[in-house]
Amino acid sequence: MADRMEPDIESAEQLLQRWLDCGDDVDAAWQRAVPGPPVDVVGSRLSSIPKSFLDDRVSLLALAGDVLGADRGRTPASTEVVQLLSDVTETRSSAARRGAAIALWLWASEDLLGAFAPRLETAHAARTLAALALRLAAVVDPSEWISDAERRDEAARTFLLWSGALPAGEDRETARSLLDMRDSLQRNGALAAAAAEHAHRLEVTRALNDARAREAAARYTHE
Amino acid sequence: MSVNGINAPDPDDPLAIAEYTPGGQTALVDAERWPTLSPEGARRLETLRSHPDAPAWVHATGDRLSAEAVRRVRRPLPTAGWIDEHLDTARRLPAYRRRAAELRSLQDFPLITRDDLVDDVSAFVPLDADLARAVHGSSSGSTGRALLIPDDIEDTARTFHLMIALAAEQGVVWEPDHTRLALAHVVKQRQAFTYASVISSFDQATMARLNLDRRGWRSPDARTRFLVDQNPQAFSGSPTSLAELLDAELVAALRPLAIFSGAMALSSALRHDLERAYGCPVIDIYGLHETRPIASRADDGPFVVLDRRVHVEIVDERGRPAPPGAHGEIVVTAGENSLLPLVRYRTGDFGRLVDVGGRLAIADLEGREATTFLAADGSRVPCVDLTQHLQAAGAHGWSVIQDATGRVEATIVRGDSAQVTAALEALLGRTVEVQQRPSLSDLGDGKPRRYVSRA
Repeated sequence: MADRMEPDIESAEQLLQRWLDCGDDVDAAWQRAVPGPPVDVVGSRLSSIPKSFLDDRVSLLALAGDVLGADRGRTPASTEVVQLLSDVTETRSSAARRGAAIALWLWASEDLLGAFAPRLETAHAARTLAALALRLAAVVDPSEWISDAERRDEAARTFLLWSGALPAGEDRETARSLLDMRDSLQRNGALAAAAAEHAHRLEVTRALNDARAREAAARYTHE
Repeated sequence: MSVNGINAPDPDDPLAIAEYTPGGQTALVDAERWPTLSPEGARRLETLRSHPDAPAWVHATGDRLSAEAVRRVRRPLPTAGWIDEHLDTARRLPAYRRRAAELRSLQDFPLITRDDLVDDVSAFVPLDADLARAVHGSSSGSTGRALLIPDDIEDTARTFHLMIALAAEQGVVWEPDHTRLALAHVVKQRQAFTYASVISSFDQATMARLNLDRRGWRSPDARTRFLVDQNPQAFSGSPTSLAELLDAELVAALRPLAIFSGAMALSSALRHDLERAYGCPVIDIYGLHETRPIASRADDGPFVVLDRRVHVEIVDERGRPAPPGAHGEIVVTAGENSLLPLVRYRTGDFGRLVDVGGRLAIADLEGREATTFLAADGSRVPCVDLTQHLQAAGAHGWSVIQDATGRVEATIVRGDSAQVTAALEALLGRTVEVQQRPSLSDLGDGKPRRYVSRA
């Protein structure tokens, strides 16, 4: 097990901000999700991650090249994936690097330990990498995803959601409710506030640009 | 409805701006614009809209007030203890979240500027704000970059009742008179939003935003006939537009109860001319769109700070509180717009605080110069026409200077200089030399004196 490393608030906020800047819509993600493999299977795979994946000296881009090879149809040359992994590397955050590496391991495990059933959608690998490396790793160090059963469950569910899958046997509402209950971001006051502010910014912008708002209201003076 | 297009922007007009296309910004139906609109109110509105001499109504908009809101806006917001409550709200704003614990009193809050709002206005909107009350408010402001802010429909509507109260202080009884327009909010610019409306909280009396520029009317006579027929109970506008009211035909026929000036400095001469012409008080209101009305005066004395949720202080050139009576920048804490609770907002205007009959007032107010430029054909072009095109070309700031010979030089920060050159030359009918600078600081310290005309 890796040593526990609490992300400091400043770097955590920076990671979270990068996630928020990605602009991924969680409501849309839930709407897209279709039945996937059991969450326990994903969690078990996660905890069996080889140490080499967690080694900060291993280049994420090189690892992705090995895992997301063209023969699997997940080319690491994908602009989105390369850009995302470059961003993660640029953060110089070990937590973010290991978060991305865990996602890569879960995909790699399909070759080494057998494919998930049903197979996971991989068309949006960058989105999944971002969810683990920037959102979840911002608030819980990936070492806890391995050592702590609840955090492992949270990581596995996060991986499934952003891969477009619902845990086997769960409908959309149940799956969403269970992930919300485990959501570490909402339990971290400062980071939850940052996320709320981001949502607020989008909401204010949307409200003001709405055609109904643009009609404005009759004014009586000239200021 | 009658967003009639009698003078729709000419597609071949190089100065036409798309947003002023008639009806281009409308999205609601009348029942949404005036949720309490009665059959009588609707009839009055339709009569106004379809008046044979009415101008081209470029826009349609109402006050959107529910029956409960109509009752609320007739009364001012209570002011007892407002500032403590206001600061509590401010500490919870995203803008201050990281330092809320340090912000114990008003003076602990940092000064904020228009650029802070331009950069991220949402940081100054409460997380629990009722955005259903928010409408699109924009302001050309002091540095040029257009600012988009949330206007609160109730705050906007309450401003009308502030005007009634200010008129009452001058002895004017202003009550609904359905034979007349309650208010003509006038502008004079090449292109403008114009609309006919009813004031739900004033017995659904009619009001209109009118562009006194003659190009907005079927004929010069139509403007006069319309105004004479409507005989507005009150006028509001900038000095440039109010000066149009000195037209002899209008003076002979109109009987306003009060005239309200805003946006730019009202000269003593124009005030006296209007007072003499109409025998009514001329009330000059000082405010910014961001802060809403701050102070007013009905004579040439200091502007008395309004008895509403507004707190005024003066700071020196380094942003420190100025000694009592000293001249400096006006900084306002404003709590009327619940969607934009501002604390220590730098207005970019200057003045000093004095006492007038036990009330705080602003003397020697500077910063609202009303500038017009001399066009080659001898006409005067108000600076707001230039502002529209400078903003449309993406300029973040500018300085436009006309010398005594009429020569015009413009310095712009960012934006499309070729587009600016073409627009200004078309407006003024003369060559305009445009230079581009990389940053606002290149325009000089403080609020750039954006427009100067010595011609």
